[in-house]
Amino acid sequence: MKDKSPLVGVIVLAIVMILLIGSFAIPPSKQRLVLATTTSTQDSGLLDAILPDFESKSDCIVDVIAVGSGQAMEIGQNGDADVLLVHSPASEKQFVKDGYGTSRTLVAYNQFVIVGPTSDPAGITQAVNATDAFIRIYQNGTEGDAVFVSRGDLSGTHTKEKSVWVKAGLNISTFSDTWYFSTGQGMGAVLDITEQQTDKGYTLSDEATFYTRRETGIIPHLEILYQGDTLLFNQYSVIPVNPDRWPNVNATLATDFVNWLTSPDTQSMIGNFTDAFGHKLFVPNAGPGSAAETHRLSSQLQAAIAIRTD
Amino acid sequence: MVDAITYDVVQVTLLSLYVSGSATILGSLIGVPLGAAVGLKEFGGKGLLKTITYTMYGFPPVISGLFIYYVFSRSGPLGDFGILFTPTAMILAQTLLVIPLVAGVTITSVSEVDKNIKNTVLSLGASDRQATFTVIKEAWVGVITAVMIGFGRAIAEVGAAYMVGGNIEGKTRVLTTSIMLETRMGHFEYAMGLGAVLLIVACGVFLFMRWLQERELL
Repeated sequence: MKDKSPLVGVIVLAIVMILLIGSFAIPPSKQRLVLATTTSTQDSGLLDAILPDFESKSDCIVDVIAVGSGQAMEIGQNGDADVLLVHSPASEKQFVKDGYGTSRTLVAYNQFVIVGPTSDPAGITQAVNATDAFIRIYQNGTEGDAVFVSRGDLSGTHTKEKSVWVKAGLNISTFSDTWYFSTGQGMGAVLDITEQQTDKGYTLSDEATFYTRRETGIIPHLEILYQGDTLLFNQYSVIPVNPDRWPNVNATLATDFVNWLTSPDTQSMIGNFTDAFGHKLFVPNAGPGSAAETHRLSSQLQAAIAIRTD
Repeated sequence: MVDAITYDVVQVTLLSLYVSGSATILGSLIGVPLGAAVGLKEFGGKGLLKTITYTMYGFPPVISGLFIYYVFSRSGPLGDFGILFTPTAMILAQTLLVIPLVAGVTITSVSEVDKNIKNTVLSLGASDRQATFTVIKEAWVGVITAVMIGFGRAIAEVGAAYMVGGNIEGKTRVLTTSIMLETRMGHFEYAMGLGAVLLIVACGVFLFMRWLQERELL
């Protein structure tokens, strides 16, 4: 660095290079739909499988932001997404009630499963229902024979887990951190932590993430020990962000998206979707969200589980 | 492995370079003069300012991301710009991380330049600005180090990029956010591979800067 001119030259060169790289790195603009969703829809590969159909039919690009359901709804509440695909029914109903979303439409479901070590020290394979399984984990946990690893991140799965503890008549705030681990991590990481609790670790998982982790050989010692209670039903719904509140949202495209997602063709695409290991992960059940949904859906789930465990 | 990465890794890599490169340039254009000014001038509160700068070395990327999120969210003061979940927002968030590092290392570098040099130049009739420029030239190796550290911080961080970029395929997915995605999906091998790509890119950038330096182009 001997005089001034090369310095200016270098700065200009650097900026030109960066702009050049940027022109390759940034795709041309098209009409865009911002979809905030839970990680399981992306990580399972479902969105990769079905979204290209919508993108070509509506000549648009869907920007997928995959975060926890809690964060997805926060993004929607701030008007930073056009439409949400989430799985946290109670918060979703509140979201629509508060006027942040226009409507809540059911899309598909699967179930949460309780996973643990093959040796099953808490004996939850003998459980009569999900709350019974949780009570067994609690009892063995306080005796030092079991560990429960919680998401602890206000995700849809965490919300479900908390509701099961409440149904079981147990108060999480009294749980000792010697056996109840609140991790604040995503499902994959929580499964990894559970795997490391040799012959003790239990957790509640969505099916998709469990199968992916299991098949890639990361969690060889965990298996599904309890499933089938309607309480563990996992409903995914789609909610357009309210354009009255956020005029910038692409309401037309969001409505198109809801209609497409619930159309017979897309629904069968969702039903036929298998992950890389051949597991069918979602059961389509398009329909309006309503008070009767739990009752109606519980019979669907029983039927689905009966088929799957055959 | 059973399934392959479906997105364009080359494009992801270029975007990483674009975002972190822009943040480094922007952060350096602000941080170097700032650091030089603080390092050279004597004023009340200088010690405090330096402490704040060094403290900001520990500024968590997610907090930088959150800050940019709140400012550029539709519900925030600058929401009308509509830059949230675009590379521009990522550049701004990373710039916030780069500035204190570049400024801090520049402060240290120019402080170590002999004070007599500045005085001599001044006595020879140079303006304050010219004198400052001379000192920066004397401290040049330190300034380049500052810029390299800044780039290292930007290309390696994931919290801010994820928060304000959203890891959108083809739009805001960079190397670090795809590493996170692959890890989350249980594809540890891919994640490691992408980590190797990141290090190779960083290596290329540093070798290029050293090459420029050796030829006295920088």
